[in-house]
Amino acid sequence: MSFAPAPKPKPTSTLQPYPDAVRSSLSAAMCLQNFASQVVERHNKPEVEVRGDEELLMNPVVVSRSDKESVLIEGSVNALRVSIQIKQADMIEEILCKKFMGFMMMRAENFVVLRRKPVPGYDVSFLITNFHTEQMYKHKLVDFVIQFMTDIDKEISDMKLTVNARARICAESFLSQF
Amino acid sequence: MILLEVENRILSEVLSSRASETEEIAPVDMTVADFDGTMYHVSNPEGDATKVLVSISVPFFHQLQQFDVDSFMKGIYGDMVTSPESGYDFSLLVDISKLGANPEVTISNVARLRRNCFAAVFTKFFQMQKDGKMDSIVLNYKEKETMFINAMKDRVTVIFSTLFTDKDDIVIGKVFMKAFQDVRGRNPSAPQVLFGHAKDVPRELEGTSALTGDNVGYVTFVLFPRHISDDKMDHTIDLIHTFRDYLHYHIKCSKAYLHQRMRARTSSLLKVLNRARPDAEKEKKTATGRTFVRK
Amino acid sequence: MATEFQLMKNPVLPLFTHAWNKDKTQVCVSPGDNKAHIYSFDGKNYKLEHTLEDHTATITGIDWSAESNDIVTCGHDRNAYVYCWKKNDAGVEVWDPKLVILRINRAATCVKWSPNGKKFAVGSGARVISVCYFEEDNDWWVSKHIKRPIRSTILSIDWHPNNYLLAAGSADFKCRIFSAAVKGVDEKNKETEWGARKKFGEVVQEFSTSTAGGWVHAVSFSQDGTKVAFAAHDSCVYVVDATDNLKMHRLPCKALPYRTIEWVSATEFVAAGFDYVPALFSFTGALQYIGELDTRQEKETKSTFRALDKFRNLDSKGTTEGSALKTKVNTTHQNCIADLQIFAGEKGNVAKFTTVGSDGKIVVWDLAAAKRSMPSSAA
Repeated sequence: MSFAPAPKPKPTSTLQPYPDAVRSSLSAAMCLQNFASQVVERHNKPEVEVRGDEELLMNPVVVSRSDKESVLIEGSVNALRVSIQIKQADMIEEILCKKFMGFMMMRAENFVVLRRKPVPGYDVSFLITNFHTEQMYKHKLVDFVIQFMTDIDKEISDMKLTVNARARICAESFLSQF
Repeated sequence: MILLEVENRILSEVLSSRASETEEIAPVDMTVADFDGTMYHVSNPEGDATKVLVSISVPFFHQLQQFDVDSFMKGIYGDMVTSPESGYDFSLLVDISKLGANPEVTISNVARLRRNCFAAVFTKFFQMQKDGKMDSIVLNYKEKETMFINAMKDRVTVIFSTLFTDKDDIVIGKVFMKAFQDVRGRNPSAPQVLFGHAKDVPRELEGTSALTGDNVGYVTFVLFPRHISDDKMDHTIDLIHTFRDYLHYHIKCSKAYLHQRMRARTSSLLKVLNRARPDAEKEKKTATGRTFVRK
Repeated sequence: MATEFQLMKNPVLPLFTHAWNKDKTQVCVSPGDNKAHIYSFDGKNYKLEHTLEDHTATITGIDWSAESNDIVTCGHDRNAYVYCWKKNDAGVEVWDPKLVILRINRAATCVKWSPNGKKFAVGSGARVISVCYFEEDNDWWVSKHIKRPIRSTILSIDWHPNNYLLAAGSADFKCRIFSAAVKGVDEKNKETEWGARKKFGEVVQEFSTSTAGGWVHAVSFSQDGTKVAFAAHDSCVYVVDATDNLKMHRLPCKALPYRTIEWVSATEFVAAGFDYVPALFSFTGALQYIGELDTRQEKETKSTFRALDKFRNLDSKGTTEGSALKTKVNTTHQNCIADLQIFAGEKGNVAKFTTVGSDGKIVVWDLAAAKRSMPSSAA
C-alpha cells in the first residue's frame, strides 16, 4: 500500500529534532476551518479560547526539548494556540526573556497572530485562527513560528553575552585608571 | 565616553566662555543639577556681570562640618569663598576679570566643587590612616544611599550601599558589580573590590546607619597606602566618588542597548511573518490601457 | 490535466463552496463573506454576471439544482435563500430570492438539494438538520427538523439517490444516515439496503470514526446509493458498504485530513482538503489509496528584475533572497481545498471535476489525464 508523501515543505535543516517535531505538529494542528459558535448565537470565536464544547477541542500536545524548553500546541476546529516556553538558564536570561516578550506583546497588533498574554506557564503564545490561515500561506506561518523560536533563543543568549562583555569592559576601564 | 567627567561641564563652560569674552559679558542666572541630588546656582550678585556667584547644595554638606570643611575649601579656593547664599550650602564668588595667573586651573577648580566636597571627607580619612588613627563615617551622599568610609591601621575601605529600584536593575547591576570583583585581578595596582548583595551585608556595616536591605548592592573598595599616597590621592578621589554614578550610568546604557536590539529583532521577525502574506498581483496595463497578462 | 484560475484576487479571498449549473456554463461561489457571485464560464475565462447579496453574514453553503435550476444558499445568519431565475415586475430576468425560515438558532453550515430538486437539507450548528420542501398552497418553503441524536454541528450532508435517505457527517465524530422522507413530497418510503423503513427524522444507521475521534468533514453516497464514503479529521477515509452487511472500512492516510469527497466511478472516489491536492481512492470490497491527482510541479516564482520590487521586498520581508521569498508550494492549489464539484459527467462517472480553496482559485481537473500522469499508476 502506498501513501501520499506528507505535504509539508522540506525542513530547512534536517538534523534538528526539536524544531522539526514542532514543525510537524504545527502543520497537522493548523488544519482550521471557519466555524460559527454552536453555543452562542451569531458568534464566531476561536474555540480554543472560549472552550465551549469539548468535542471541538483537540488534545493538547507538548513538544519539549528539556524541562525548561517546550512548546504547547492546543488545537481546535477553528483556531490553534501555540505557547512557547523559552529556555532561561539564569536570572539574566529570565529578565531578558521577560522584557523581550513584553516588548513584543505590546506590539501584538502588528504581529497579528501574537496573543497579548501568554498561556500560564509559558513565555509567549500565538493564536492562529482560520482567518489567518485563509489570508496567509500556512507553511509560511509554520516557518514563522519556528524561526521565532530559534531567533529568540539566539537573541537572548547574544544579549546576555553583550551585557557580560559590557560589564567587563566597564570594570576594566574603571579599574585600569588606578 | 566610558568614564564620567569629574568637572561639571556646564559650570566650566559658563565660566570659560565669560573669561574669553572680549566684549561685554552677558549676565547669567541658572540652576544646574548634578549627580546625586547636587544643585548649583550660578548668578550675578547685584547685577554685576563680571562677578559670578556659584553656590552648591549637596545633601551631605552638614556632615562635612565636623571635618572643618571651611578651611579645606579655603585651602583650594582662597578668597573666592564667600558666605553661603540662602538655600545653598556653600558659595564661591568668581571675579571673571581676576582669574589669577592661570585662569584654566581656577575655572577647573570651580567646576570641581562637588568633587571637592567629597574630597574634604576622603582627605580627612586618608590623613587619619596615615596618622595611624582609626575612625569611620556613614556618608548619606544621596537620598537613601550611603557610603561607608573606614580608616584602618593599614588601609581605608570604602563601601557603597547602592539601591536598585527596578527589579531588572538588580540583575544587571549584579552582573556589573561581579565584573568589578572579577576583573580586578588583571590590574595589580587597582584596589581590591568586593561585591555583596542583599543578605551578604559586609561585616563592617553592622551597627552602622549604612543602608542595607533586599534591593541593595554593596561594593567595597580596599584602598592601600599606595592608593592614598600624596601624589595618588587626588586621582583616587576623582575615581572613587564617581563610582556609584558610573555603575548606574552603564546599567542604564546596557538597558537602552538591549531595547534597541529587541526593537531590531522585533522588526526583523515581523518581516518573517510578512513572508506568509501573498503578494497582491498587480494588473499591468499597456500604454493603451488594456490589461497586460504576462504569459 | 489541471486548469487553474485565480477567481479571487486583489485581495485574495478564500472560497468555501461552489456550485455549477446543469450545463456547467455558470458557477456560483462565495468568497467567505455575505455575497454569492455567479460567474459565467466559457471553458477558458470566468466573467462575473450576478451578485446575490441577501445574506447578512458569511455564506457557508451553495447548491444549484440541476432539476429545477434553483440556487439555494445558507449562511451564518441562520437563513437560507432559494433563488429562482425569473422575470421581475419590470419584465427583466433576475435571480429572485425567497427567504427560507430554517427555524434554527445557530449558523447554517451546509446545504444540498435532493437529487430530484424537490427538497433541500441544511446542516447547522444548532445540532439540527432542516429538511425544507415547498408548499405550493402557501407559496412557502417549509422546514422540518431532524434532531436526534445529533450532538454537535453538522459539517456535511449528502442525499441518497432515492431522495429520502440523507447522510450527515457531524463534529460529534459520527456519520449518520437519516430518513428524510416527507409525506406528500416523496413517494412512500420503503425498506432499503441501509435498513428498515423509518419515519422522518429517525436514524437508519450510525457509524463512528476511530477511537481517536474526528470531525466528519465530508460524506458522499455512491451513485447507486449502496455505499457511503466519508472523510474525517483523524486523517482517515471510511467506506461503508450496505451490500456487504454494512461493513465499515477504514483507511488511515499519511496526508492531512480531507474536507471534501466525491465518487467518480462505481469503484473510485476522490478526496481533497488540508493537503492541497486531490487524492484518488478505490473501493472494490477493500479500501485502497491510489495516489495524488496533482503532479506537484515546482512553481516558478516570477523573477522580477524591477529594482522597486527588490527594495520593497527588502523593506517588508527583510530579504531579496529567492528561497525565503519563495512562498509558493509545488501544488496547484496554494491553500486548503474546501469544496469539490463534478464538472463533466455525473456522479459515478466523472470525467472532470472542479475544486475551490482558501487560495481563491478554482481548478478544473481532468480525471483521465490526471490518472495517466499519476506517478504510482504503474504500480
